[in-house]
Amino acid sequence: MSSDVSRADILRPIQRTTKAYYVALGVASLFAGIWAIAWIYQLYHGLIVTGLSDWGTGGGVTWGMYIGLFIWWVGIAHGGIILSAAVRLIGLTRYQPVARLAELLTIGALMMAGLMIIVHLGRPDRVVWSVVLAFPRTIHTSPLIWDVTVITMYFVLTATYLALTLRYDVSRLRDDLPDRFSPVYTVLTLGYSEEEDPVVQRMVWWLALAIIILAPLLLHGGVIPWLFQLLPSMPGWYDSVQGPQFLTIALSSAISGVIILSYSFRVRYDWGHLLTDDIFRGLTMWLGLFVLLFLWLQLQQIISGVFAPPIAVAAATDAMLGEPLYWAAIGLAVLVLAFSFITVVRPAWFSKERAVLASVAILAATFTEKVLFIVEGMMYPGFGLYRAVPGSYFPSVVELSTLAGTIAMVAMFFLVVSKVIPVVELHVVEDKHGQARSDRGDGEVNQ
Amino acid sequence: MSTEDSSCGCDTCRCSTEAGDEASTAPLPWESGDSFHPIGKGWEKEMRAMLDDTEYDTDLGMEMAEDAMRLVAGEITEEEFHTEYHDAVTEEFGTDDRPLPNAFSNRDGDVSLAEHLEKLVDGDISRRETMKKMGLGAAAVGLGSGVFGGSGEDEDPTFVDTEAAQEDENDGTQWGMVIDLERCDGCLQCVIGCMEENNTSTGANWMYVLTYEDERTEEENFLVRPCQHCSNAPCAKVCPVEARHIREEGGMVLTDYETCIGCRYCQVACPYGVNYFQWGEPDTPLEDIERVDVSTDDLQAMDAEERRETLEGSGDHFRDGRGREVDSRPRKGTMGKCTFCPSRQDGNMGEDAVGTVACMDACDAAGMSAIHFGDMNDPESRPNRYLERRREVEPRADEKFEDPEEEWEEAVTGSPESQLSAYKLLEEIGTEPNVVYLGNEPGPEAEQVEGPVAYEDIGTVDRRKDHLDLGAAANEED
Repeated sequence: MSSDVSRADILRPIQRTTKAYYVALGVASLFAGIWAIAWIYQLYHGLIVTGLSDWGTGGGVTWGMYIGLFIWWVGIAHGGIILSAAVRLIGLTRYQPVARLAELLTIGALMMAGLMIIVHLGRPDRVVWSVVLAFPRTIHTSPLIWDVTVITMYFVLTATYLALTLRYDVSRLRDDLPDRFSPVYTVLTLGYSEEEDPVVQRMVWWLALAIIILAPLLLHGGVIPWLFQLLPSMPGWYDSVQGPQFLTIALSSAISGVIILSYSFRVRYDWGHLLTDDIFRGLTMWLGLFVLLFLWLQLQQIISGVFAPPIAVAAATDAMLGEPLYWAAIGLAVLVLAFSFITVVRPAWFSKERAVLASVAILAATFTEKVLFIVEGMMYPGFGLYRAVPGSYFPSVVELSTLAGTIAMVAMFFLVVSKVIPVVELHVVEDKHGQARSDRGDGEVNQ
Repeated sequence: MSTEDSSCGCDTCRCSTEAGDEASTAPLPWESGDSFHPIGKGWEKEMRAMLDDTEYDTDLGMEMAEDAMRLVAGEITEEEFHTEYHDAVTEEFGTDDRPLPNAFSNRDGDVSLAEHLEKLVDGDISRRETMKKMGLGAAAVGLGSGVFGGSGEDEDPTFVDTEAAQEDENDGTQWGMVIDLERCDGCLQCVIGCMEENNTSTGANWMYVLTYEDERTEEENFLVRPCQHCSNAPCAKVCPVEARHIREEGGMVLTDYETCIGCRYCQVACPYGVNYFQWGEPDTPLEDIERVDVSTDDLQAMDAEERRETLEGSGDHFRDGRGREVDSRPRKGTMGKCTFCPSRQDGNMGEDAVGTVACMDACDAAGMSAIHFGDMNDPESRPNRYLERRREVEPRADEKFEDPEEEWEEAVTGSPESQLSAYKLLEEIGTEPNVVYLGNEPGPEAEQVEGPVAYEDIGTVDRRKDHLDLGAAANEED
């Protein structure tokens, strides 16, 4: 680990734009564009263009990949809070260089989650008006409204947090930031003075605390699993282990998202001395821990689903265990668990590339597991008398394009944002060089 | 499981009275203290002071409050409570809009005041409805301040809004059905009747008849499955926009096609699978559905009287008496299901159609009369009269067996009290359905089989997914 991290390093993504950047932007735009066309097609014809149908006599499932993607993206959005908590609340400065990337990932992923709710609706045009008018009453009973509320809160808190911490950096780096975005910087640093720094620091600490209570305990360990676990109509869902289970999935996919993102920036901008191997090792270890918890809670579900289950629960569990894709997901998780623990004993077996591979595996596993959870839950309702039960489902092209489309949009988000604001905190430079360097004068660009 | 006792809302069970008698032996909360009110003497004084500020009789209010507490504790019955103060209330207020004793025998079955209060806390019934049912006394002091929190200057706690109560359209009607499965032959005429009435799209079989086999019964069994119109409907509970709601008047579960955002959470939460989403364009365009030439907004803006005049006998098949879009097939992207035909119940289809539904008409026309729709709270309604008639079976088992070992095979029926095998579907989930079935209940291993008439033969499809898988092409097809 070298100690010569400079302002120039932090500014590099903003100042250096290569051909590869435009290629990446082009590819991302292409997939996002394909999805946009697919969505317009869906808006025109209705949800009939999806693979969804009515459960019961209809022989289908009414919630599918859109809801799976929604859960997946909210899970990834937890990356920000884990890293922020580690850095701000527990003081693990080791992860400070990736904290802002993780916070930005929260913003990007939450936007995708919100978009999935909209895309999933039959009448997206009504969503604001209908929800707002009934809100004072529905907030008491509708888990979907709890969901929307908590996600909105999470978004607002994270955006506030990000905006506050950016003031410090932008005001100090202003001279080296491109003038074409000056309106953005002006708004971001409105009324800034150095006196506010300690105050902002305290505010940010409290915000981080609020978010860490809100996001894991109330969002992915709360209202999202409650969408399912509170419904006795579907025995595969009606299970109080879902809260913790969802949370382990969220944390695993969040860490995975941060690993992939950090690796991309490290490779693109020669950030080996900034996003060090040490960070990747640490993150992979945490990934292993969360995956362990995930597998442990899967075991809980399986054991109570097979030992002496009521008929309907048995049917749901049998379906889960009979699905090859489920075992593929569990297999991937087991491999990642093994990798992360072995590399603790044999550090030589670790490489960043393998960590990235493990992260991709976990993201694939969590996505598969959650889509199966939703779909199979609806396929095996408690009232299974209908001949068309269990129903069938396979996502249509329109739905599938959404997976690629949302990933592409998050990539675009990072490509654009990293050109406007520093994605690594200035504190990282200052902490490594002492306060003397925080002043201007060392901003020479050495490429 | 057989629910012989109170499943139909009739007055066979008098548990509230009996429970009250038993409870009187136990020490009651206020017996140990110095006040009749559980909160204590101080609170009682405050209430007295509040009553003193009104133009009405303080002592009457306090006496009624004290008795109201006893009523809640089950020490006295509602009947006693309402009768005792009838004269005094009439004298003091000039009117007594509380239900009189005879109302109790036929209005609410055996639901006690305490149960109503529980529901109020759960938000199941409206404040206004509860006030009306509780009568003046309880609302006045004993509960008024605590439950309603309405002790403001301008909101006289001794005076229940009787005008509003009279205006309230809820007359205690609970639309429901008794379906005699032993009279069903699976002809699907009810399904056709429903399709024709509501113009539902292909495969949206709001009314559905399952033919099933159960290893314990040899014959073909049927299950007629409309929406169960649950009084504790999970679909309404989870709706994020209150589009799915339990209508106060008639207690039917409806979807407002104007506010529904199409999230399909109702469909996910419903344990019965009665919901059918409008995935694409409805097969029947809105122009082909009979409506009066007034926009929904204008209808809702009218006062109740004007709206009634506009809609009565108009044949409007899209809006109910409140002017809300809840009848016929849904709009594209919103949820639909069996409605219990609100445009009929509200008089849009003329006086004769009130109290009928399309599926029942079709079933009657086919000579089957397996479906009996009506007010479950009215002992004179068709479903309740039918239940009554089905109970009157020869008490064959009144002769005791001399030698049970030998004779049990001879016995044709059970005990005289349980002639009728009646049940509500999945009642154990706590949904409080309003459809009562007579006949066999499908066991957990029952399996649906091909029925005597195929859905394809009546112009719809059974497994809707096959049709929906056509995707956008399904929009153009029909």
